[in-house]
Amino acid sequence: MANVYRSAVIDAPADKVWALVRDFNGLPKWHPAIGKSEIEAGLTGDRVGCVRRLTLKEDGGLLRETLLSLSDAGRTLTYNILVSPMPVANYVATMRVTPITVGNKSFAEWWAEFDVTSGSEQAQVSDIGDNVFVAGFAAMNRKLAGKGARP
Amino acid sequence: MTTRICTSAVIHAPIDKVWTKVRDFNNLPEWHPKFSRSHIEGGLPSDRVGCVRNFDIAGGGGTIRERLLALSDTEHYFRYCILTSPLPVEDYVAQLTLYPVTTDNTTFGIWIAECKVTDGDEAGLIDAVGNGTFGKAFEVLNEFFGKQVRGPQA
Repeated sequence: MANVYRSAVIDAPADKVWALVRDFNGLPKWHPAIGKSEIEAGLTGDRVGCVRRLTLKEDGGLLRETLLSLSDAGRTLTYNILVSPMPVANYVATMRVTPITVGNKSFAEWWAEFDVTSGSEQAQVSDIGDNVFVAGFAAMNRKLAGKGARP
Repeated sequence: MTTRICTSAVIHAPIDKVWTKVRDFNNLPEWHPKFSRSHIEGGLPSDRVGCVRNFDIAGGGGTIRERLLALSDTEHYFRYCILTSPLPVEDYVAQLTLYPVTTDNTTFGIWIAECKVTDGDEAGLIDAVGNGTFGKAFEVLNEFFGKQVRGPQA
């Protein structure tokens, strides 16, 4: 089982960051790798158990992911991967947003556990950690930085 | 009714350095200006879970006794409760947790206390503990590590 953990400071209040993160159908609005998203079976993206169908911007690759838990109180979201172009299995990931009270910013975390089914485990960990998670944090900062931090 | 106090901040140093600085349960007055003098009762080591620290609020503010309830070097937290203190609180339990900010090798610290306020002045306690103790702690840690980074000439 491989583990990957990444975290960053987002220069926006936690409620604004969480609003972005909790929208399970909203990845194309902020994540640079995702071109399209739809929720299968006509459900809404805040229904725990719903499945999103993501299309990668670069090569049209398909991912299907299930929303496993969503907590507005803990600002935490967990999902798994059903189908993806990556050589991974048993993939479960969590995103969490915590307020930084000194400065009214946010501490964002994104972590995952999975089995690597072919190739180097370390390469897969770096790819997901840097190209998915850290790239996501950078995009959040580009979208939100400075907005709402002041009245 | 339970009162919850939460203060969190970025500390501009790697988590291992911050954790080394704060994990010693007997060392609070060494780095926090609000407190002075500390010893562990019964001559126990300060990393023995269950030990009691006995320390003073600086400037004659009275003595606080707190029991170490949990200490984790893997998850970087310690948890403690107040046994006796001059503060208007009951059932006071607090925890300091550190998380690594992996993108820039700094640290996110979050300090949470839960208690019952016995004198009715909840806002006063939240300010005294949330800002005066927890917020001040993050401030002085940043000053300490800032000086380390800049060096003695700065």
